[in-house]
Amino acid sequence: MFDLKKYRKKSPWILHYNAGSCNGCDIEILASLAPKYDLERFGVLNTGNPKQSDVFLVTGPVTFRSRERLVELYTQMPSPKVVIAVGSCTCSGGVFRDMYNVEDGIDNYIPVDVYVPGCASSPELIIDGVVKALEILEQKSKEIELPKKLFGTIKEEEGVLNLREMALSVAQKSEQINAQKSEQNEN
Amino acid sequence: MFEIVLILIAPLVGGLMHGSQRVIRARMQNRQGPPLLQPFYDMYKLMDKRAFIVHPYHTILGILHFLTLWLVVALIILGTNLLYVIFLHLLATVFIVLAGFSVKSVFSHLGANRELLSLLAYEPIFIFLATGFYLFFGTYDISVIRENSTAIMTLPLLFIAFLLTIPLKLKLSPFDACEAHQEIVGGVEVEYSGVYFEFLYMAKWLEYIFVFSLLTLFAGDSILFAIALVAVVFLVANIVDNSTARVNIQETVKFLLIWGFGLSILNIIGLSFV
Repeated sequence: MFDLKKYRKKSPWILHYNAGSCNGCDIEILASLAPKYDLERFGVLNTGNPKQSDVFLVTGPVTFRSRERLVELYTQMPSPKVVIAVGSCTCSGGVFRDMYNVEDGIDNYIPVDVYVPGCASSPELIIDGVVKALEILEQKSKEIELPKKLFGTIKEEEGVLNLREMALSVAQKSEQINAQKSEQNEN
Repeated sequence: MFEIVLILIAPLVGGLMHGSQRVIRARMQNRQGPPLLQPFYDMYKLMDKRAFIVHPYHTILGILHFLTLWLVVALIILGTNLLYVIFLHLLATVFIVLAGFSVKSVFSHLGANRELLSLLAYEPIFIFLATGFYLFFGTYDISVIRENSTAIMTLPLLFIAFLLTIPLKLKLSPFDACEAHQEIVGGVEVEYSGVYFEFLYMAKWLEYIFVFSLLTLFAGDSILFAIALVAVVFLVANIVDNSTARVNIQETVKFLLIWGFGLSILNIIGLSFV
């Protein structure tokens, strides 16, 4: 039997999510997918469907509202998968670091494999990041990777993810956070 | 024996057509594009992924869609009745529509709705196509149609009407509203993942074989003419795909029901005067 693992590298399908970015990096991502830089020559497709994609391209510093969607999308992607943080905001919070509505980078919530710097990252850097991520994707196993926050633990029954319970724990957690915030405001 | 080999390799030929279509589209946009074997690389990758199952019925309907389409292609290659082929193809579409409605996803429902509407648009043309061949040859048998000389001079309007349905069947612009990747995230295929999405992906390859083998019926017994017809139509379909934007589903149905339906009826009426 031939090894299926080496074909992961040849057909990475991309899911792009904007976690509160200024659209600078998004424009550059679209530019790298468009005819001039032509990421499709590596077999890359921009699917827009988490259930069929392998590479998670995230832009933006993760605003308070977008973090649940971020983790939701991450858990909806079947393993093996890689995450690329595109742009300074996504890596560390960038110019928005320590602001009240910003969560300082996606690696507080999900494990990141490749960090692409730049404000905004140039298409060359993004292509470089994607190619680097493909090397990591080839090494990965099919184990489910845990997001760091929000969901706590992955709930799996007979090989099937129980998304409902995971989502319920998110709702409880955000209620707690809201309660804490309102307490702080009263004080 | 030769036919059985053809039936077995039909999905592979469809995959090659899909790959070459992606290459041709890339070259038309002045870029390098993916390798020719890209659909097969995608296939191997999808086999290696974990799969999420919404519920077993949904998954089975997806696999049935693929198997029915394969049966349709097999029946065309074996040269059976044209009406059987067209109605079995309808059954394959019904499977995918049922699969679309069997999950809760809004995009899946939208995709299934659009699939039904496009069925409304192209199915009359297919049935008129069979009728036209019946009026001309006196039989629905594909093997008889293949043995006689070309019917394209007698059925020119039906041929044009059939050409109009090709972008709709192959999910190419301007009639790709029922898939619409960035708009409704692929429609009915939104809830499939891993190896089960693979079946829908291969069904798309078989759709190529189905459409182009129906097209070769117009060429009759001349193999050279059939090859030329497929090559030219394939190229033109790609040029149209590259140079037009997506029209919405209402416009698609309206256009096909006015022009496709009208032209085929004209041709059928005209045949009675010949």
